[in-house]
Amino acid sequence: MSNAPHILVIDDEPQILRAIRTILTEKQFRVTTASRGEEGLSLAAAHEPDLMILDLGLPDMDGVEVCTRLREWTQTPIIILSVRDSERDKVAALDQGADDYLTKPFGIEELLARVRVALRHSARAQGTQTKIVKAGPLTIDLAWHIVKREEEEVKLTGTEYKLLAYLAANHGRVLTHQSILTHVWGPADADHTEYLRVYMRQLRKKLEANPERPQYILTEPGIGYRFIADE
Amino acid sequence: MQNSSFLSSLWKYLLAFVLIASITAILFVWRDALETTLVALLYLIPLGMITAQFGLGPGITSAVITFFTFNYFFIEPHYTFTVHQPADAVILIVFLIVAVVISQLVGRAQAGLSAATAREHEATQLYELSTALAGLPNDHAIAQILAKQVHAVAKGEYVELNITGTRSFIYQLPGVARPTRLPELIIPIEAARGMLGEIRLWRAEPPISPREQRLFQTFASQSALALERAWLAQAESRAQVLEESDRLKSAILSSVSHELRTPLSTIKAAASSLRSKDVSWDSPARVELVAAIDDEADHLNMLVGNLLDMSRIESGALKPKREWNILPEIIEGVLARMKNLAAEHRIEVDVPESLPLVPVDYVQMEQVFTNLVSNSLKYAPPSSVVCIRARQEEDWVHVQVRNQGPHIPLDDLERIFDKFYRTTDAERVTGTGLGLSICKGIIEAHSGRIWAENVHGGLAFNFTIPLSWDGAKPPQLPIDTETE
Repeated sequence: MSNAPHILVIDDEPQILRAIRTILTEKQFRVTTASRGEEGLSLAAAHEPDLMILDLGLPDMDGVEVCTRLREWTQTPIIILSVRDSERDKVAALDQGADDYLTKPFGIEELLARVRVALRHSARAQGTQTKIVKAGPLTIDLAWHIVKREEEEVKLTGTEYKLLAYLAANHGRVLTHQSILTHVWGPADADHTEYLRVYMRQLRKKLEANPERPQYILTEPGIGYRFIADE
Repeated sequence: MQNSSFLSSLWKYLLAFVLIASITAILFVWRDALETTLVALLYLIPLGMITAQFGLGPGITSAVITFFTFNYFFIEPHYTFTVHQPADAVILIVFLIVAVVISQLVGRAQAGLSAATAREHEATQLYELSTALAGLPNDHAIAQILAKQVHAVAKGEYVELNITGTRSFIYQLPGVARPTRLPELIIPIEAARGMLGEIRLWRAEPPISPREQRLFQTFASQSALALERAWLAQAESRAQVLEESDRLKSAILSSVSHELRTPLSTIKAAASSLRSKDVSWDSPARVELVAAIDDEADHLNMLVGNLLDMSRIESGALKPKREWNILPEIIEGVLARMKNLAAEHRIEVDVPESLPLVPVDYVQMEQVFTNLVSNSLKYAPPSSVVCIRARQEEDWVHVQVRNQGPHIPLDDLERIFDKFYRTTDAERVTGTGLGLSICKGIIEAHSGRIWAENVHGGLAFNFTIPLSWDGAKPPQLPIDTETE
């Protein structure tokens, strides 16, 4: 059992801690909890958990700041919890290095899915990079820059490919507008969300069976995009 | 300044002397033809003129000098100050008395006139100030007018107002550097309830006269009245806003506690029966109960979200984070999320591909579509069509969400966007009655307009949003076309 992933949960609401602890323990995770930012930071340093779940609304310090301070010394995945309508804080935390987010109230499947993606991603970051990403009928070969749909090559423009490759390499994770724009277009264009909107639409038309109900390239309203690949 | 006033009074004396000398010269030429009494009378003319023109001082001085010249040149024996004839002595004395009395009378009339002019001037300035102050809505505007007026009237170097009343602030005359020394004059602005602040005036030369000081004191009391009036008006409107929001709060409480309790009751009932041993683990009822808890929790979450949105709109904290967005993407996202709710209806989307990018807040616009569509789904009969249509109309985008629901009485078409307003009785349809007013708040925050209209066979919600944003038109994007 000691090999089970260790998760640190930082939240000031005891009911939430209780619920998350119950569910995660049930799913064979080891769970440590903290109810304040400072406490969370010192527990993180002491236990070096495999994953952290961090509430943005802590009483003693700003969740975004906790994120920043953690990222000074560790790359352990961080999933942030926040309430609706705090897109600005979510985006700030994600741009400060948080890996994913959940909006309260959330379903438990959602929580577990995020936890799985984050753990897999951190395992991948330590090992070798995935070369081939599969999502339904789509195959994206990141080494050879080839995108296939049902074994048929899809022609993408240079920018479209760069965009898709970045999404696919981080499949399962939410990517903020700013991080995608900076990565694909460069820091000078980090504010041009409209580029993303237009290119995502083109990509969906070329890749999705029904571009109006995308299954693989998902919009995270107010935050960014997420690429869903096969597990 | 002082130097020049001394010079000007010296001039007056000099001119008076010159005038007397020239009159004396003229009379001297005609001396043999003129009688002594006539000379005395003729002498009175310049004396009157001098007093009228130059004031009492030069007048009296000239009278005395004339007395001597008259005696010296015109009364026998000539070129002496002695008098031989008793009649001449009488003439001389009468002349002196008349000259002095005339000078004094004319001088006093003159002084009275200039005092009246000064008073009239003050009255005009005071009138100008009170006219300017009348109806000013806030203390800053009052301070500005007062400082300007004091500065102009005093011809001072600098004016500063330190307002310490309900809201304290310092108003400094713009465009002029504040002198480093202490102000020459400080006048308190006092009202019945105490000190409201003070006027600080810098003017080294000429020194501020008591008359000016009195004038500025009147200025101060005028502005004290204006300040008090402005503050009272503000307090009153604040009280009105408070009363309004109080009423809103109790409306929210009564409407919401009912709405919140419904899902809570379901959740409580379902959860407690799951805990009891009455429901076996594999019964279909268990699945039902769990689903009910999940659905009602979502419902509760939505209600709370609506309340938060409403309070944000009410407090003016709803600031759209505008970005250039593709309208169909927003609509598709909403419809994908609502597909369970919309299972009984057909939703058609009619938006041309050529529609330009729209400058909107993605999340807020999702909210608008969610509320308009869910409102349509609530009231329109099952298996009817809800149509979402968008068109560019010059510099605007016009969106219409049209359903086949019942018509709304003409009087209610505007009121359905009011908080907690519902056309049908609350029993039939659930909701806080906030959905449409949230839409209104969001669309108006985007400088748009929203309205409802009865159309053939149904009801249509319309809204328009400007396509330009801070003057910027929808961007044309550099699309690369060559493939890898």
